[in-house]
Formats: sequence, C-alpha cells, structure tokens
Amino acid sequence: MDVRQPLAVEAAPYPFSFDPAETALVVIDMQRDFLEPGGFGESLGNDVGQLRKVIGPLRAVLAACRAAGMTVIHTREGHLPDLSDCPPAKLLRGSPSARIGDPGPKGRILVRGEEGHDIIDELRPEPGEPVIDKPGKGAFYATEFGDLLISQGVHKLVVTGVTTEVCVHTTVREANDRGYECLVLSDCVGSYFPEFQRAGLEMIAAQGGIFGWTAPSEVFLAALAEAPATSRPV
Amino acid sequence: MAVEHSVIGPVNANPYAWPYDTSVPADRVALLCIDWQTDFCGPGGYVDAMGYDISLSRAGLPATQKLLAHARSTGMLVVHTREGHDPDLTDLPANKRWRSARIGAEIGSAGPCGRILIKGEPGWEIVPEVAPAPGEVVVDKPGKGAFYATNLDLVLRTRGITHLVLTGITTDVCVHTTMREANDRGYECLILSDCTGATDASNHEAALHMVTMQGGVFGCVSTSEDLIAATTPALA
Repeated sequence: MDVRQPLAVEAAPYPFSFDPAETALVVIDMQRDFLEPGGFGESLGNDVGQLRKVIGPLRAVLAACRAAGMTVIHTREGHLPDLSDCPPAKLLRGSPSARIGDPGPKGRILVRGEEGHDIIDELRPEPGEPVIDKPGKGAFYATEFGDLLISQGVHKLVVTGVTTEVCVHTTVREANDRGYECLVLSDCVGSYFPEFQRAGLEMIAAQGGIFGWTAPSEVFLAALAEAPATSRPV
Repeated sequence: MAVEHSVIGPVNANPYAWPYDTSVPADRVALLCIDWQTDFCGPGGYVDAMGYDISLSRAGLPATQKLLAHARSTGMLVVHTREGHDPDLTDLPANKRWRSARIGAEIGSAGPCGRILIKGEPGWEIVPEVAPAPGEVVVDKPGKGAFYATNLDLVLRTRGITHLVLTGITTDVCVHTTMREANDRGYECLILSDCTGATDASNHEAALHMVTMQGGVFGCVSTSEDLIAATTPALA
C-alpha cells in the first residue's frame, strides 16, 4: 500500500504542503531572447543580468525535481512564422523600434523555430519533458497546458522562470482561478526591474495567499530531500 | 447609410496615446466595471466588518459613476462583473474556500450582509452608485479573472468589441487578472487610475506601474477625465 505523507515547505504566508507525485515544476520562458546578452530583451535596453541570476538556483531545482520523478513542464512565448496567432494590439502597440517577427540578433524576434525563441542551453528540456508554446503571457490561454495538468494528475505547481510580474504572475493568476495551488520560488523567478520583483512576490502572498505561496529554493529543496522513495513514480 | 458613432481616442495615456490604432468607434469599446460589490466596498459589507478601511476601495466610485453616464451616452457597451459562488458551493475550489476561512471570512459562511460571496445575497450585489442599468451585461465569475469560466469573451466578440476600458476593485487582484486575460486575447486595454482602487495603496500604485513597462506590456494607464476629453461625439 502506498501511504504518502505530504511534504511541507516553510513558505509565505504559511507552509505549503505537497506530494511530488501530484506536483509539477513549471519553468516559464527561460528563452535566449529574454536572457542572453545580444538577445531581444537586451536590445530593448534591459539588464539581462537581473534575469541571469535565476539560472544557477533554477538548475539545482530542475535537477532535484527530475531526480524526484516530478512532472517538469517548460513554456516558451512566441508566435507562428506568419504571425497569424499574434493579436494586432500586441504586434503594433507602442511603436516599438523592434517588433515581433522583425529580424533580431538571434533570428526573427519571438518567432517559433528561431534560435532566440528557444530555451537557454543551461536549462534545456530533457527528452519527454513537455514544452508549451504560448502566444500570450499566461500559459493556459490558447495552449494545451490545462489539459496536460489534468492528464498528468497534477494539482499543485512549483513555479519558476521569467519575468516575475509578467508571464509568471499571469500564469499563477490563471492557475489559481482554476484551483491549482502554486508555490513561487523567489530566487528562481526574475524581473528586469528589482522593484517589480519585490512587489510581484509580495502580491502573491498578500491577503492570506491570494494567489499562492512564496519561498526561497533552498527551503523547497530541503523539503524535497525528505521525499520517501515510495512517492516517486517509476 | 452610414451610422455615425462617437469616436474615442487618442487618449492621453501612459506609456502611449491610447489606443495603439489611434482611435476607435465607441460601439467597439466596452467599459468593464469589475466587482463593485457591497461585500468589498460597501458600508456594512464583510471587508468593512472585518475592520479594513474601505475608503481606499471606494475611492474610484465617484469617477466611475460619472464615466458610466458618459459611456451610456456615447454607445459604449457597459459590462459589470461580480465575484461569487453558487449557494451549494459547487463552483468553489477547495483551496479558495480554505484560504478564506483562514482569514476569518469563509466563503459561504454567514456574514454581515448575508452569506459571504454567495450569488443572490445582499453583500454580493453591486453598490447603488454604479448599479447596472436595465439591459446591461452582468457577468458572474467564480475567480479573480472575468474571462475564466464565464461567457465574457463570447459576449464581447459577439458585440464586435475590440477595445476595453477597465474600472473596479481591486486594482492588483481582480482588475489586473482580468486585464492580463484580456491582453492575451488581443483586446486593447486601458485601465483608469481614478476608477480603480486597492485595500493597500502601494499595491494600487505598483499594479498601475507594471502596466506601463516594456512599452505597455498589458496596455495603458489613464484617467476618466482624459478618456472623456478624448471622446468626439457622434454627429446628430
């Protein structure tokens, strides 16, 4: 008989309990265009160093979740080469100097199949790990992400990636409305703007955890290390 | 014969003059009035009864009231939303119920204005200042976002709506979640700083600021006065 004791993570605003067999690690938009020097994000004047701080801690979390047999799901923001899935308001807003689909330093900006659109080498998905291509900021809208969570028996999410206040927050809000419990790892999410990193994390745990929980990765890893072998699917 | 409509835009807004496509006929614009419910902002509602200061969540009411009259006179679609659950709680996720109980306001329990956040209860109704007029669309939503598990997207697309103006409470929770959902769906969004509010002033400011980053990652921020000033009335 399989008797599972849920693991507990010391988190804000209170402990987050989870069973690794029913929890997915979600890695959001760790793409070259956002993270690498010479990519689209840097070409817009952003300091990619703010985002690259995430890579080290996230590598450790990714390795531990894989070892524990957890479901691992990656996402990428991007559009079809003909831009048929890019709303005009997104494409044209604000007269940007570089638009989605324009030639960029690492191929056409935010277009599927281009070098800049792909996930950075340090966090490359392993064979068999789902990669969700999303046209928006949220991972649920116009994707198979929701169906995938249901089919995998996932009830809780450990959320990582970039950027904290945009794609991470939108995805956590979508997940929360759908009844998923979300733990956001504070050092495994990043923003170009330190002010938004702080505000974004605070908003998640406000009002008794209105969108979910936050905790540093070391605390999560310590809890995961307690996982008995029985909770690991083979 | 061409039908004349009021035209909105360009509106003085941050970070660009809204909308991205310069101007839009009023009949393609919806005014969203999000969760102006007694339990959240009314005297005697549960937030009031818990001892919170409701003046911050009520701050946007006068401007929204004025804007509602403007929207009705110019032919914008007016849509109200209410957060709430069925009396048998079948649409209440377990974690939402558990969390609400933890802070002393369990959804479905007896509150100062009836069962908390239950459809049909007095506390769940929209406050009189911005009450829906007969025939206006009212969307009941079980979550923070107005698109999830509702008919809002269908209603908007059926009416040919492409642009949204957002008002309501709270700025950082239900208004922001709805704006993010709308933005992903391709709606061009404008949030009004004087028609929104939060129980925490710094969360209100941070939420508005986030909208303006990266060239308007979710749309634009403006005020009701600027929107009204940028409306060109239809020819009589």
